[in-house]
Amino acid sequence: MTWSSVAALGVVLLVAPALPGVATRTRSFLTGRRGPPALQLYFELAKLLRKRVVYGATTTWLFRIAPVSGLVAALLAACLLPLDGRGAIAGFAGDFVLFAGLLALGRFLVILAALDTGSSLEGVGASREAMVGAFAETALFLVFAALVLATGRTTLSGMLGSPLVAAWSASLPSLAMLGLGLFVLLLAEASRVPVDDPATHLELTMIHEVAILDYSGPDLALVLYGSSLKFALFTALAAGVLGPRAALGPAAALAVLPAELLLVAVAVGAVEAVTARLRLNRIPQLLVATSALVVFATILLLRPA
Amino acid sequence: MPALFFAGLAIIAAGGLSAVLLRRRSGLAAGVFATLIVAGCAMVAIPAVDMLTGGRAWEISLAARVPGGDWVIGMDQLSAFFLLAIAIVGAAAAVYGAGYLAGAHRGAVAFAHAAVALLLVALALVVTARAAVPFLIAWEVMAIAAFLLVMYEHEEDDTRRAGLIYLAATHTATLALIALFATWGVGARDLSFASLAQVAASPTGFGRNAVLLLALLAFGLKAGVVPFHFWLPGAHAAAPSHVSALMSGLVIKTGIYGLLRVAGLIGGVPEWYGWTLLGLGLLSGVLGVVWALAQHDLKRLLAYHSVENIGIILIGMGVGTLGRAYGLPAVATLGYAGAILHVLNHALFKGLLFLGAGSVAQAAGTRRMDALGGLARLMPVTWLAFLVASAAIVGLPPLNGFVSEWTIVQALLRAGLGEGAIRAAIFAVAGLGLMGGLALACFAKVNGVVFLGRPRTRGAEAARESGPFLLGPMLALALACVLIGLLPALMVPPAIAAAGVVAGPSALGGVDLSWDLVRFSRLAVLLTLALTLAWLTWRRLMRGRWRTVAHTWNGAYPLPTPRMQYTASSFAAPVLEPFGAIAGLRAERTEAGLETHPFDPGLDGVLLPAWWRMRAVTASLRSAQMSRLHVSLLFVLATVIALLCYLALRANW
Repeated sequence: MTWSSVAALGVVLLVAPALPGVATRTRSFLTGRRGPPALQLYFELAKLLRKRVVYGATTTWLFRIAPVSGLVAALLAACLLPLDGRGAIAGFAGDFVLFAGLLALGRFLVILAALDTGSSLEGVGASREAMVGAFAETALFLVFAALVLATGRTTLSGMLGSPLVAAWSASLPSLAMLGLGLFVLLLAEASRVPVDDPATHLELTMIHEVAILDYSGPDLALVLYGSSLKFALFTALAAGVLGPRAALGPAAALAVLPAELLLVAVAVGAVEAVTARLRLNRIPQLLVATSALVVFATILLLRPA
Repeated sequence: MPALFFAGLAIIAAGGLSAVLLRRRSGLAAGVFATLIVAGCAMVAIPAVDMLTGGRAWEISLAARVPGGDWVIGMDQLSAFFLLAIAIVGAAAAVYGAGYLAGAHRGAVAFAHAAVALLLVALALVVTARAAVPFLIAWEVMAIAAFLLVMYEHEEDDTRRAGLIYLAATHTATLALIALFATWGVGARDLSFASLAQVAASPTGFGRNAVLLLALLAFGLKAGVVPFHFWLPGAHAAAPSHVSALMSGLVIKTGIYGLLRVAGLIGGVPEWYGWTLLGLGLLSGVLGVVWALAQHDLKRLLAYHSVENIGIILIGMGVGTLGRAYGLPAVATLGYAGAILHVLNHALFKGLLFLGAGSVAQAAGTRRMDALGGLARLMPVTWLAFLVASAAIVGLPPLNGFVSEWTIVQALLRAGLGEGAIRAAIFAVAGLGLMGGLALACFAKVNGVVFLGRPRTRGAEAARESGPFLLGPMLALALACVLIGLLPALMVPPAIAAAGVVAGPSALGGVDLSWDLVRFSRLAVLLTLALTLAWLTWRRLMRGRWRTVAHTWNGAYPLPTPRMQYTASSFAAPVLEPFGAIAGLRAERTEAGLETHPFDPGLDGVLLPAWWRMRAVTASLRSAQMSRLHVSLLFVLATVIALLCYLALRANW
């Protein structure tokens, strides 16, 4: 644990709610509309935290602990990523399995909480969330395996730290493909177009939004913040692979971090501006195609040097 | 230690006997039975724990007046690890069974208890036998005891069908085993494992590939590896729930034990064998969970998950074997250790899941998931235990399933960083990811449909929490799952030691996980503490602000009914759709709804049609067999002449 890794975590926690806003703002700008302010989520969180909570009569304790537990899981996952570009707060050999496991824990809680309400609409969301999650996890494991091959390290700090800088010169095409794969995963995990549309207003067309439909007040604030943190983590992953910061000094790396995060968020907005949401049964195809892309990258990495 | 081990077995057997002798006084019998089995299992566990904490291996030999040499019983780390699983899950299932069958007014209860005791003794002997003959005897006793237990509710058509298919499968496995020992023992002094290992090590060749293939068939059938899984879901669903826990948790693991033991004895293993294990593991893992998702019957669903978990174990064994074949000792040790650890972990959480399913079925009167719902409020303790086991089987931190998965991933990564063709094994990581994701979907479905929401039927509404006989063992197993998850240093080093038996002790040098385990353990504990603390803080912060309770939002529809909840079919449909025909699901879409009917592509799609075709063909030959006496005599005469011609011609060459 170094001061820069803790500071980087602080930056990410602070910037996270801006990312969905920046993406939406970019999308609005590119499609000729004005859109909500980029900092909208901060206002919403502040408003929600002052409100009361309403619970459905069907719900159990699970519904109540899910938001805070999901957020804690995401926070711990953040501790495993080398956000400052050189080292994570915590880590051990094969820690990416824990990273994926913590995100899965959060997803499991979201799905169960949705089913806890007994509402068929939230059942729709829960089922779709499970579908996206299953295929996204496959691709995520493949990406990490490929990064292990590219850098020869099995910790996240190693595979996203300085060994990655050296790997870029040796295997540029593979790493570019991995970065692209992570970007698609970001779209899926953060519920963005073309997988999910955060701007839709019809329950039947939603995925993540409809699964959290019954949350209100401070609980909803936790859920929304947790989602934005997940967005930030995948953004940091994609940015970490596409623009490794290990070569920079600690202070410079910290300064570049928010810029990289916002840049990826702008890219997400740009994708949203030019694509439509996919039909539901196309989503697994998109994610399997992503996995195939990563498999190609891995095969290139397996080629004897 | 050997004395303690055999005394433990004797007490378990006495427990079974007591159930039969005291069958007129069922209350007393259940208590005595449970006490004796727990005491016996504890005594059997002591030598196992001693062995795993650095005790000495022992072997005792009984002179037997039958062919095949002395009967040798012995203990090493591999046996000890399996024995530990048998003791823990066996004790839990027996206590649960004493409570579970208590309400049933039938004389068969006593004999079911006796069969459970017999099964436990046979299991313990299977994993400690060191010669082919006692191994085969214990193996067959185990298979028959399990068959009797599967047939407990023999009035049901489904049970009889499942029991017969199981019997056919297990006897095919025994046949293959006999062939295995016959092939292997050709040049051996006797059929003790030590002699077999000598044959394998001797320079004069023996049918190594044939032995390995026979082992795959025999032990694969027992373990339920796809495509040999066809007997498993039916048998596990038909048996009483504590027996399902024993079968899924322990009996199928003897197949894994057999594969590991053969790999340990045979010395060098060829590369193709490792790749085959890895491929079969991926196939079983992915298909098992896909088929599980399609199920409507709670226990069938859990049974298909056993196929999946056997797949995970096989992936570990596959990469371990590859590590050995390609000369990477660290990969070999980690792969085998992950597989062995997952054996214990799966025994714990799958045992617990089956016990939970039994409580649900008994309380609500049905195993059909779409007839359940809302049980979280009615059976809170059962649900808590079931939820822990669900999270563990999905591989979520900080529980035990995660630890073994992490160990296997370690092996795969190190294989990827190795030299040569073994690097391709790293792709199996994607399989583990897919299995994890699909298992998550599946157990979200189970918990959501069975326990959450509102009761869908009167039966589910009438469900009540089970008694202490049922809850105690479940909570104990849940605790074990949490403990291994939080303190992996407790079980990973013993698993690595057991892996040394398979991979050879020289392999142990290459692995040092202690530092990673400590960090990992710290994080797991931190996660638990953080979750608890965050929840307590949040509750305090929100005090007075969250007592408002209202209707669930249902698209502005004012009067939601339980029937409007999402069903198991609907939940699984989008996840299964990409898998198309292999999902084993027949869907009927009407204007008003979706109805899905799961079937097993292996059993219902291939095996049974082939069986009926074969019967039809052979039936046409019956006329020849059943005809008049003189025609039959003509056949005999023709056969004799044909044989004589063959002998005469062969003599002339």
